[in-house]
This record gives sequence, structure tokens and C-alpha cells, in this order.
Amino acid sequence: MTKPTAAEPADPSPGLLARARRRASSTIALTVALGAVGFGYAAIAPSSAAADQTPSADAQRGQQIYQTACITCHGRNLQGVPDRGPSLIGVGEAATYFQVATGRMPAAAQGSQIPAKPPQYTEEQVNQIAGYVQSVGGGPQVPSGNLRDGDMALGGELFRLNCAQCHNFAGKGGALSSGKSAPGLGTSTDQVIYAAMLSGPENMPVFGDNNITPAEKRAIVSYVQTLKETKDPGGNGVGRLGPVPESIVLWVAGIGALMFAVLWIGAKS
Amino acid sequence: MSGEGTSQPARTAADLDGLSDEELTHLGAGLDGVRILEREHRFAPGSKAERRAERLVAGCFVIAFLSVVGFIAVYLFYPWRFSLADQRYFLYTPLLGLTMGLALLAVGAGIVLWGKLLMPHETAVQDRHDGFSDETDRRTIAATFRDSLEMTGLARRSLLRRSLFLGSGALGLMAVVPLGGLVKNPWAKKELLGTPWKAGMRLVRLDGVAVRPEDLRPGGMETVFPDVPGGRHAPDGPVMLIRLYPDVTRRPRAGQADYSWGSYVAFSKICTHVGCPTSLYEQQTNKILCPCHQSQFDATRDAKPIFGPATRSLPMLPITVDSEGFFVARSDFREPIGPAFWERRNYD
Amino acid sequence: MTKPPASSTSPTGKAAANGAAPSAKAGRLATRANEADQRLTLASPIRRALNKVFPDHWSFMLGEVALYSFVILLLTGTYLTLFFDPSMAETKYSGSYDPLRGVEMSRAYSTTLDLSFDIRGGLIIRQIHHWAALIFVAAIMVHMLRVFFTGAFRRPRELNWLIGIGLLLLSLVEGFAGYSLPDDLLSGTGLRIASGIILSIPVIGTWLYFLVFNGDFPGTEILGRLYILHVLVIPALLLALIALHLGLVVKQKHSQYPGAGRTEKNVKGVRVMPLFAAKGGGLFMFVFGVTALLGGLSQVNPIWLYGPYAPADVSAGSQPDFYMWFLEGDTRIWPSWEFRGLGYTIPAVFFPTVVVPGLVFTIAAIYPWIEARLTKDRALHNLLQRPRDVPVRTALGAMALTWFLWMTVLGANDVWAKVFDISLNATIWIGRIGMLLLPPLAYWVAYRVSLGLERHDREVLEHGVETGIIKRLPTGEFIEIHQPLGPVDEHGHGQLEYAGAPVPKKVNKLGSTGRAIRGFFSPVEEPSEVAAVTGGNGDRAGQRELASQQQPE
Repeated sequence: MTKPTAAEPADPSPGLLARARRRASSTIALTVALGAVGFGYAAIAPSSAAADQTPSADAQRGQQIYQTACITCHGRNLQGVPDRGPSLIGVGEAATYFQVATGRMPAAAQGSQIPAKPPQYTEEQVNQIAGYVQSVGGGPQVPSGNLRDGDMALGGELFRLNCAQCHNFAGKGGALSSGKSAPGLGTSTDQVIYAAMLSGPENMPVFGDNNITPAEKRAIVSYVQTLKETKDPGGNGVGRLGPVPESIVLWVAGIGALMFAVLWIGAKS
Repeated sequence: MSGEGTSQPARTAADLDGLSDEELTHLGAGLDGVRILEREHRFAPGSKAERRAERLVAGCFVIAFLSVVGFIAVYLFYPWRFSLADQRYFLYTPLLGLTMGLALLAVGAGIVLWGKLLMPHETAVQDRHDGFSDETDRRTIAATFRDSLEMTGLARRSLLRRSLFLGSGALGLMAVVPLGGLVKNPWAKKELLGTPWKAGMRLVRLDGVAVRPEDLRPGGMETVFPDVPGGRHAPDGPVMLIRLYPDVTRRPRAGQADYSWGSYVAFSKICTHVGCPTSLYEQQTNKILCPCHQSQFDATRDAKPIFGPATRSLPMLPITVDSEGFFVARSDFREPIGPAFWERRNYD
Repeated sequence: MTKPPASSTSPTGKAAANGAAPSAKAGRLATRANEADQRLTLASPIRRALNKVFPDHWSFMLGEVALYSFVILLLTGTYLTLFFDPSMAETKYSGSYDPLRGVEMSRAYSTTLDLSFDIRGGLIIRQIHHWAALIFVAAIMVHMLRVFFTGAFRRPRELNWLIGIGLLLLSLVEGFAGYSLPDDLLSGTGLRIASGIILSIPVIGTWLYFLVFNGDFPGTEILGRLYILHVLVIPALLLALIALHLGLVVKQKHSQYPGAGRTEKNVKGVRVMPLFAAKGGGLFMFVFGVTALLGGLSQVNPIWLYGPYAPADVSAGSQPDFYMWFLEGDTRIWPSWEFRGLGYTIPAVFFPTVVVPGLVFTIAAIYPWIEARLTKDRALHNLLQRPRDVPVRTALGAMALTWFLWMTVLGANDVWAKVFDISLNATIWIGRIGMLLLPPLAYWVAYRVSLGLERHDREVLEHGVETGIIKRLPTGEFIEIHQPLGPVDEHGHGQLEYAGAPVPKKVNKLGSTGRAIRGFFSPVEEPSEVAAVTGGNGDRAGQRELASQQQPE
């Protein structure tokens, strides 16, 4: 047995990055907002941005966007700008994809956390930026293609163990401490869910590939997405938020209707 | 109750023969202390409005019949078994509810409309007989009780009385004592004080695979279980293994300085408030939040409670890494995990 | 008055009553009735039951709603027992719900899934059962509020109030046991919390905890035990108490609101047959119909979304059913205070989940005696009170209700925080401050409003109803003409005493103390009645009518 003080294993993300990433929430400054609005989720262009040495054409276009939209806060070479934005070295395609594809980046304002909003770049542009960040800094990547080939039952178990505590049993999201919240997964694409697990955005813990394996991530994605796409068999799902909306239905529709009946029966005819 | 009719003069069958049903009804009501003051029809009998009301009521019952037919048809012939592929299935229960509810509501509306529109509305007044019973009744019942007591001799025969209490009391005990089978001594095996964790036990994931330090990235969290059969379902077993960022300065609780392994810390997942899994780890603020009652713990201060109703830190599992590079527990928790109880010794 | 059509078409009815040989169909029925009467001597008790008079008021039907939902619970619950197995034995799910196929779970959970997906029509029965349970508890609460605010619990009905409190408590336990049975993630979380609460009881807590769970949580017995409580013990107790509750209503006769012809010594309304029975039967169908509609159209307790219970799993937004939220709420806002000393601990959770509800229900149970002692009122009461006429009780009730509602709202603070984007920690502080401020505020507001309404009633009785007619006096002064409600003295002041009944405040409400204006959706007045008030010397006619109505006969 080694001593508790033994050297820690080599870490894919260096301490500098870690510090910077954690500072991100409080130090993101306003960023110039430009680019086309409008976003097609359907076609995921595989970025295959493993081009490490010579930047591909895509990565070059990504660099152009980076230099107009991201450089003020994240620096010329992804090294970050103190009190503005963290270094992006080592965050990889996964984090970049998640942040830009969900509209969190470019950030509009500071807050307890950076809210999602309609994305400012097309899927293609997002992949170009992600490819550029990947080509410069390296880091975790999101697989392309169909991510719903996993074992749903296993995915459900992992979801309830690792995700439901914040994102709710049906992926509706939930409150965190002091004004922060875990978002609902209603509009999240396969790639966004996968990228979030891999990169641990905001306060979400990082679920690296040794923690939740790629196969398990795919299982979680298939569970979440199947649940979302399955209609409610028992009538209106009232938001799938459990007893709270059910109780509202009870008092408004149930007791409301019965009070109406009682008043009608009791009224003189 | 039956006293209400006693003052009525006796009637012969011949007297009653001469009365109409309505007169008999009033007579009967009178015998029950009821006066029917007024009775009035909503619509004149035989009027057009009355016939319309009749059709309305009948219409309700017909709707009910048709709904029941619909209900049976849906129940028997509509696809009813859950299927992700068959979108028709998802209307099965709503259709059942709709036809069933409509049938019931239509019958209800029919009956109520019948009562409101077609039955003559009446006002009746019934006398109350509150308060004490008749003086004779009270005196006689009291006397009967005393007499019974006297007949048994319970008041006089103290030996009998006492032995009766002794015997029947014992019978009562006999009814209660077998419930003792329910009682289990919580301190026989001291389950409340210990958990399956012990020195050298590996920290395993849901699938039973042991966890190594390189499995977690900074800001990562893994729920781990004791490496025993059924560890996944041991209610006191779940542990949150958290890898703090290297720049985080841990401020350990007294006596726990060496409980962590580098920047890795392991806390019991069971809330010290009432036992929910406190699994909402916020990697930037290092807060751990319990979703049930919003107790918040600070992971950098060994899960000290900082908000909400929890009063105690989450117990920390002392960990290290064995020679094969897997995380192991150095011992069980030093304090009982989960919600507190009367006999719980105090630590801090 | 008309004869029932039956007697005009069939002259045998009269004869049958006397036991003469009948010929028609009705006659055969009469023969059967005679056969029964000869053996059981039923004629008099049955007639008395049919002739029983019940006062006619909508607010008296709220308890009926609870009663009928209980009947629905018995019917649907019996159906569910045919398929449900409360076993905690592990099994691998192989039913038709794909996202859970292959998951390890308890038999209880898997049979509930089968009930929902692999039993034809099982899901709707399950959902009707759940909705009926929610309506049952809600209706009990609303009924109880009516009883409280109208003073119906006063002597001689204290015992029935006490039974009602018992019914409410039993229904809470019954509901909790019921939703714990499926062994899903949400109910398992609730059970875990319940285990923590039991464990927190001083001195006997650990022993009681081991007694209930037959060892450490969750053990292997708890679902079987909850099941027998849920389907046998508590329903039997509920049934017995409901029988007693209704028996007392029959024996003591229903209380009534003050009004024309209503006194402490009588009960005015309709007889059981046929009108009261028709309305009751109709209401039963409505309650069943509403639960059926909800059961089919609004999903409730979707346990397949929650997943099976596992001690390490939990979901954001874990709430029990609404009637437990008040306990959740006060637990959430309770500060981290606990007792430690002499080597013993009284955990923080003990106070909000055992002490507070214990106090609340004890005070509620003995309230009739508290009020009787404070008011020194020992008289028998059959006439109800309007809330405004008893400002202190109304204010106390408003205070208690506000506390309950506020705790209930706080029981879901995490959902409000998420939905309305408020800080979770802020909702706790809002809750704590609100708990101190809102109940006293509710007391004050209810007290002032009661007094104001009470005074206005007296004012109208003294000066009459505002007519809206402005008159200019020769002096140039403008006055509004008031329509006196009854005879006036030499100063023009009304001589009617307040009799506890609604006082008409508008001209078009004149006469409402007697018979309510006909019609539910819109007033239906017959021309002759309208003419009687407005035509000719209508004013005086109206005054006479009102005078007779204001004074109890």
C-alpha cells in the first residue's frame, strides 16, 4: 500500500486548466455576439478533428471564428485571459462542442451560472470551432454518429445513480444550491448529453471515460433519449415532475370539478 | 327513537283503507316526527317543459349507455399492451378513462337532473330530540346497572373482584406479550454503528469493477460500493468518491487529516439528516447538496454542514491505494453513518 | 299537489300495504315485503330511515365526497390486490416496458409494472386508485375546514370531531403506506425518510426502528407489513370509524344553518327518499366519474419513470403526495438544531416531524373543549355559525390554515426554485421568515375582516339596503335611500334582530334569506314571484316577507 501522500497519477488536464475552468463561471465577461442564428440539430457533421499537427481546412475556419468571437476572453492561443475566461488548453472538442452548441458560449452576461440560449453558430461552425480547439489544445472528444445503441436498462441504472439526483428522474432538471440549477435535458441532443458527461460543464462533475465508460455513456444517452421520445401511457404526463404537478391537477381539476358538482347539486332548481 | 309515534291513536285497518297513498305518507312522516311543509313541482305535470326535462334525463342515460359500449369496445379491441413501436397504445388508457368517466358523469347528471327537474321539491321539518333521555329512562337504566352489579356481588365480594382483575389483566398481558416477537434488539449486532466497509476493502463501481485513482478526473465523482455480495444494495454502503481539484485546500475535521488520498476524498452518501443519498456534488463550489431537505455540505471541509437542517458532517471513509493500484478503505467509518439517534455518541 | 302516477294507474298499491292479495307486479313485490316484515318486523325502522330529514346545503356534501372516494378506493384497491405482490425478493424484469427490461428489482416493483403494462386495463385502475386516494384526503381536509369554520364541532358533536381527526390521521398513514408499496425510487426515498424519523425518537427510537423494519433499513419485511396495514388493518379501522361517524350524524341529526323556520329544535330540509338519495347517488357518480377521467387523462405516480428503489439512488424534486408536504416543509426550514448531552442525542429531524405534528393534531383534536372552556359555552348547538360571527375562532382557523398551506408550499421548495428560477437557499429563508410572519398576519386579517362583515350586517339591519337611488333633500343635501329590511321604529331604524343568517346586502338579493334564487348558471325567476316583489305595493310585501324570514319561527 502506498502512502496517502503518494504522487498522483498523470492527469490529462493540467492544474492550470483546472483552476481556470473553475474560475470560469465567475469571470466570463461579455463577448461579442455575432454569427448566424439558426441551428440544425439533424445533421451532425463528423468533425474527425484528430488532425493534431497540420490544421485542416475546417479547423482553419474554426480558428477564424475563434479569433472573432472567443479570443477576447480565452486568449490568442487558448491560454485564457485573467479575470475574463479560462484557458481552453486540454478542454478538447467535447467541452467546446457542449458550450457552443447549447448557446452557453459566447456568454452574454455573468451570473451564478451561464444559461443556455439559442446557439449562435450552425452545427457546422460549432464543429469547426471545436475542431480548432481540439487541434491546438487536445482533450476529450465526442464520438459522432448514432449514440443510441447502448443498453437502455444499464443506462437507466447509471442515470438513476449518477444523473437523476440533479437532472430529475425524467431529465427535467432540478435546483442546486444558491441559485444554480441543473438544466432539463428536453432539447439536448445525443452529442450534447455525451459531451456534458465527458467535460463536466459548470458544476456538473466530470465523468471521464474511466469513470463512465464510452459504452455506458451510450447506454445513458439511449435511456434518456428513449424516455424523452416515449409518450406517456397514462394520459397527460403533467410535466413528468412527480407529485407537485399532480397535486395541482388534483386541486384545480379534481377538487375544482367536484366543488362545481357539489354547488350545482346543492343549488335550488 | 320509537317514542315519537306512541302518542298516535291506534288505527284500525279499516281506517287506513280509507286513506290515499299521499295521506298515508304524511301519516307515516308524522309518526317519525316529520312534517312535510310544502311540495311543489318544478314544471307543471304534463307540460311541455316537463316532457323536455324528461327527454334531457333520458338523454343522459342514453349517453351513459353509449359510453359504456365504447368503454367495452376499447377495452376489448384496442391495442392495450405497452409497446414503444405502436403509437396507438398510448391512447388506450386515456380512451378508457374518457368513456368510463363520461358514462359515470352522465348517469350522475341524469340522476341529479331527475331529482332537480322532475321530482317535486319538498320542504320537510323533523323534530330533534336532543339532550338528556327521559327521566324515567335515566333512572331505570341507572337502577338496572346497580342491580346487575348487586346481583354479581362485585361490590361486596372483594376477593372475587380482585381475583377477576388479576385473571383478566393476565389475559390482557397474554394478548400483548406475543407482540414481543416483533421486538429486535438493535444492539445485538450493532448494525447502526458499523457498515460493511473494513480495512483493505476495495471501492467498487456499480458493475463490481474496482476503482483506481486514474479513473477520476479532477472535479469528478463516482458512487462506489463496498466489495461485498449485495454491496450495491447495502443501505449504509454507498460512498461518494470525489477527486477535488489539486489547487483546493482541504481543511480536514479533527482527526481526519490522513483520511484522504491526495486530492481524493470519500464520504458516506447517506445524509446525516434523515438518510437520503446526498449525491449532488457541485464541482466548482465543492458543495454537496441533499435533494430531499436541501442540507448542504462543504466537500473541502470534510463535508461539514453549511446550510439546511443537517447538523453533522457526512462521515468520511479513510482511503488509500493498495499495491495493485486500487482504492481500498483503511477502515470502517469512525462514526455511525446516516441519521442520528438517541444513543449516538457525539463526535463533533 | 299531485298524486304519484303509480297510485293513479295501479289501485293495488293501497291494498298491498294492508297485506291484501294483490294481482299485479307491484302486488308481488308487496307480498315479498310482507314476507320479510313478518320475519324481521322492518316496516317501522325502514320508514323512519326513509323519512329522515337532511338539511339541503352544498357545504354538507363535502364529507360525502370523501365517503364516496373511499368506496372507490375499496373497489379499485381490491382489484389491485389480485395482481400485486408485496415481496421484496429480487427479480429480473422481463415485461413489456422496454427501458427497464433486464433491470434487477423487487417483486413489488415488477408486479406494479406488470399491473401497469401487462394487465389489460390495469393502469387505469391503478391511476383511479391513486387519484381517489388524493381526492379522499383532500375532501376530508375541505370537509374539516367547513366543520371548523361553522362551529359544527360544538356540543353535542365533539365526539364526531374527534372521530374526524382520527379519520384524517388514519387516511394520512393509509396514503403513505399505499404509495410506499410499489418500491419505486420515489416511495423508497419516502420510506428511508420515514425510517430516519422513527430512528430520531428519543429513548425508544432505535428499538422502534428495529421493530418496524425487523432489523436495519430496509430489511426484507417492511413492504409485507405495510401491505397488511394498507389493505386490512387501516381500511378496517377507517370503515369502523366512518360507520361510527355517520351513525352519530344520523343519531344526532345533521346541524343546519340558521334561516327561516330553522331552530335548535328541528331540522329543515328534504327527506332521504327520494330527493336526498337522488342527489347523493348523483354525487357518487360524479366523484367516480371525475376520478375515472383523471385516471385516464392525467398520469399519476408513473413509477416506471422513477425506476426501482436502490439506497444509493435519488431523484431531484423528490416529493411525497401533497398531504405529506407540510411535514416536508417544516423539516426543510427547520434550522440545524438538535439536542446533545449526557451522551445522548435528540436529532434535529425529531422536532419538525414528530413534535410539531404531534402538537398540531393534539390541539386540533381537543379544540372543541378548548373553545368551550374559553367561551364557557356548555349549551347544545344545532344551528351553525357564520365564520364572521365568531371572529376569534375564524382568525385562529385562518392562522392554522395559513401555517399548513405555507408549510405545504415549502414542501416543494426545490421545484419552485427550479421552475421560477429562485435561489434554493433563498426559498428556505423566505420560508423561515414567512413562517413567523404569515400566520399572525392571517390571524389579524381574518379577525378584522370578520368584524367588518359583522358590523356591516348590523348596519344593514338597522338602516336597510343601499338602493343606489340618490335623493336631493330640500336643504340641498344628497342622501342615498336605504330600503329597510323590516318594520322600523320612530327613528327609522330597523327593528330586526340579527339571526345568524345571511343579510341581503343588495336589492336584488332581497328574499334570499328564505329560498335561494332559483337556477345555478343563471337566475330563473318565475314571473309571478317577481311581480309579487315589484308590483303595486311591492315594498311593503317585501318587507313583510323578510320580516317573517328574519325571525326564526
